[in-house]
Formats: sequence, C-alpha cells, structure tokens
Amino acid sequence: MPKTPNLSVEIGGLILKNPVITASGTFGYGNELNQLINLSSLGAIIVKGLSLEPMPGNPPPRIVETPCGILNSIDLANVGIKAFIKEKLPALYKIKTPIIANIYGHSMSEYAKITEIIEDTAKIAALEVNISCPNVEKGGMAFGTDSYTAAKVTEHVKKNTTKPVIVKLTPNVTDISSIAVAVESAGAQALSVTNTILGMAVDVPTRKPKLANIIGGLSGPAIKPLALYLVYQVANRVKIPVIGLGGIMNYEDALEFLIVGATAIQIGTATFVNPKTAIEVVDGLHNYCLSKKIHTINQITGSLKEYGESNEKS
Amino acid sequence: MIAQNIYLMGFHSKKMALISKPGQFLMIHLVGTQMDPLLARPFSVHSIKDNDTLVILYKTVGKGTSLLSLSKEGDAISIIGPLGNGFPLPGKSQIPLLVAGGMGIAPLFFLSQLLINIKQYELKMFLGFSTSKEIVLFNELTSLGLDLSIATNDGSYGNKGLVTDILDQYLERNSHIKPMIYACGPVDMLKKVSLRAISLNLTCYVSLESQMACGLGLCQGCAIKANNTTNKPYYYVCQDGPIFLAEMIDWGSL
Repeated sequence: MPKTPNLSVEIGGLILKNPVITASGTFGYGNELNQLINLSSLGAIIVKGLSLEPMPGNPPPRIVETPCGILNSIDLANVGIKAFIKEKLPALYKIKTPIIANIYGHSMSEYAKITEIIEDTAKIAALEVNISCPNVEKGGMAFGTDSYTAAKVTEHVKKNTTKPVIVKLTPNVTDISSIAVAVESAGAQALSVTNTILGMAVDVPTRKPKLANIIGGLSGPAIKPLALYLVYQVANRVKIPVIGLGGIMNYEDALEFLIVGATAIQIGTATFVNPKTAIEVVDGLHNYCLSKKIHTINQITGSLKEYGESNEKS
Repeated sequence: MIAQNIYLMGFHSKKMALISKPGQFLMIHLVGTQMDPLLARPFSVHSIKDNDTLVILYKTVGKGTSLLSLSKEGDAISIIGPLGNGFPLPGKSQIPLLVAGGMGIAPLFFLSQLLINIKQYELKMFLGFSTSKEIVLFNELTSLGLDLSIATNDGSYGNKGLVTDILDQYLERNSHIKPMIYACGPVDMLKKVSLRAISLNLTCYVSLESQMACGLGLCQGCAIKANNTTNKPYYYVCQDGPIFLAEMIDWGSL
C-alpha cells in the first residue's frame, strides 16, 4: 500500500491541507458553489475583494472573452466588509477550510480599518492584501506599482493584525521583484503572484471598446506563461512563500507553478469554465505525488532543473 | 438545423429536465474546447421533451455557438443548470401575452407549453423575425393552440415592421383588458415593450441577456443597472434574473 502523500503547505503560520486555493474575485463570497463541490476539500478559500464600504462596481459591459482569456472590469464590486461578516460569512462557519479575506482600501487608513475589523473575526484565518487591482482609480494599482507605497500598505495592515498577511502583487510593473522584496521587508508573510494584466479589446464595426471601462484585467490561460515567469522571478528573490496564480486550468499547470518556486497556487478563471477545477487540481496533485512516490508536495516547490540536467530522477 | 443558422438541440437528463422551469437557463460548454472559446455560453431552456430531455434553441452567432452546432450525438458536453429564477406564472384572472423577438422565442416556447398545460389560457403570442426565412416553430406553436401574430422587418411574412408595432396595435385596440406581458428578445425590443408596459401600468416580465463568465454568481460580470428607485445599484442577470420585472431595470442605461 503506497503511502498517502502529504499535500499540506504552510503559509505564514497557517497550515493548509493542500496547496490549492480559490482566487479572489472568482469564487464569490465562498458559499455559491456549496451545492456543487465539497468546499472543505480545498486548501483555502479567498473571498471576493472587500472594501470598508460597499462598492457598486463598474458599469456594464464588464466582461469580454478574448482568445484563451477573459478581460474584466468588474472593479471590486462588493457588499463591504461589515455586510460580508454579518450576511455572507455565517454560511461558511461549517466549512472546514481556512477562509482568507482579500481586502483593499482607497487609503492607508482604510486598509488599517478593514484589518482591525477582520482581526476581531475569528472565522477569517488570514488576509490577502490587494494592492494590485487595476480597476480602482485611487488606491489599487497606485499602491502596488511603487515599492514605497506597497511597503507602507503592508506595514499598516501588519500593525493591526496577528493573522497571516499575504500581499497580492500586480504584474503591471517594470520590476516585480523589487516590489516583492520591499513588501517582504515590510512584514508580508506570503505573496500572491499575480493579479490580472491590463488589457483592452475593441469592437471594430462600432469602433467602441468592448468594456464600458475601456480597460480591464486579462486573466485565464492566455496569461499563464507570463504569470509563471513572474512567480519564477519573485520566488528566486524572496524567502517568504509565493502563491502562484494566472491561468491555471489543471493540475499540470499547477505543477508548473510549484516547480518554478510557488508553495501554493490559486485557481481563478478556470472556476468559471468548470466550477470543479480546484477540486480536480487537488485530486490531480494527489495522484501525481502518489504515482511519482513524492511523499510531500513541498519537495516539488522550486524543483526546476537546469536544461541540460539528467531526466532520470524525478 | 431548423432554419438558416438556427438549431434545436436536445440533451438527455431526466434530473435536470424535471426541475427546469420556463425562463431558467443552462451554461453549456463543449468538453475539449476549454481554451478557446474559454467560457461556457448561457442558453435558456427552450422546452422539455418526454420528461427527460432538455432542448435549447439557438442561432449561431460566434465561435461558441458554431462549434456547438457542429457537435454530434455522443460528444461530451458540460451543462450546468437549471440556473436563474424563471418566469413567475400569471394569476388566475390575468391574461398572459407573450412577446418574442427572433431567438427570444426560446424560453417563451417553454412558458407557453406550461401555461397551456396548467390551464386553457387563450394564449396570444407576438413574434418578430427579421425575415420569413427565420420564422421557426410556427407549426409547433399553432398546434399548441396559440394565437400568433407575426411581424417581419422586411415584410416577407405577416406585418411589415417590428414585433413591438403589432403589440402596440393590440394594446391600443384592447385597452379594456389588463394583460400580463412576458417578453424575450433583443434589448431594444425589450426596452420598447417595457417602457410601453410601464406607461400602461401593466405587469411585464422580461428575460435579459448579458455577457456572463460563470452563470453562478461568482464573477459579477453580468451586471445590469437597476432602476434608481431601488437600493441596489446593479442586478446580476445570473443570480437576480434572468427574468426581471420591467420597472426593476434602468432602461436608459441599456
């Protein structure tokens, strides 16, 4: 009888039963798929980006499909942190998987205030700080594209919480590693790499943008090679765990991210295509480890070989 | 194929067939094409056949529907549904009027089947097509016992003009009755029907479409602006709809 592989990973002191996490903005408030999948089988659930006050989101059309990808300009439409805790979170009390709140603010003090509220909410296990959403005019991208402000936001959040702090980085910068290093120095315990890539699409007959907001964030398999490269870069520069995401559609994609240095991964757009993707990735990783006699999934993280290296050992 | 670029397609699923209601929709994706087109497409349930088969009606408009039209019996297909709220049924004394523009006939066919089964309504349906070649299901609808009024944009069949023209004429001639309107079709048509219904103080349900990534309330992509009088800025077609009361929608934004 082969030994059951150990898929568990640690993110800033938080132990996940496996490295598969659902990405913010692609998993609603966590409970929408309760009837379709066993949420307790997931490594963790990251809920929709939450702000201090409710946000309506951008005018429609907010979403357009492009080859192998989706452009969206949802703009963090959400009910606000207080309504989330009161109305949405109770549905997740029985779920045996850590709930991570993705948070964003329009100012440093807003980040601090949301963090304080979450600090008093036992069911929320960790925070993922969004400094990278490209759709918010004030905040969002402005914080994440500059090492100094990215670090400042991280400090503000860290000061107000004892929970693990993950910072989600934007790919829309010239040098992601310098921001990663700055955020690590400011106390972040993990990094999510990466958010959507800015893009646009035009309807030729009308010459109008396909999104009412003109620009949006590109996600899906179209961005996977780029996301993989960013994870590779960042993982080689920081000591804290990197959570890789960007176009992961199956367990083999997930393995690519682990091999280049990710400790855990997130499933985003793929959930729209097939709501069971995250569960299938968990099963796929389990079976892969079993068949390759890999005892613990951590052995895969950062196991990228040199091109000329022998292929004999797995 | 039942007309040029228009297809009827059935999927065997007793479980889904038994619980589907008129106005609800399915997210359908051909297995094996997960990369491009990436997303499933929403289709309203067109009818239920033999209590175990879901039928959809669609026109090929892009890559997703074209590939679907080329699929064969036995091909693997992913279907999530039934999703959404469905049409509320009329009260005992209410006279339902069904208004369909083009492929808008899809969910209204299912509704008319159900209404005829529940009670012998004198069902009246207004249909608009761009041209006579696109007229579908004429025999099926008449055999259900529906009273049909048809308009075509080019005048190749029935009244020349829009379906909203023949609806307006009917409402003018019959101002003594207070019908309940069910409408599905292009957004411009729904807007006209809705504004007319609101001005006449008639109950009107519309089936709305939107770009949609998941159909499950995860992405919040399918936003439709809510009317100012409501406290919600946007409705989500997949979760709050796809059936809406006409006055719930900010028609000026569409």
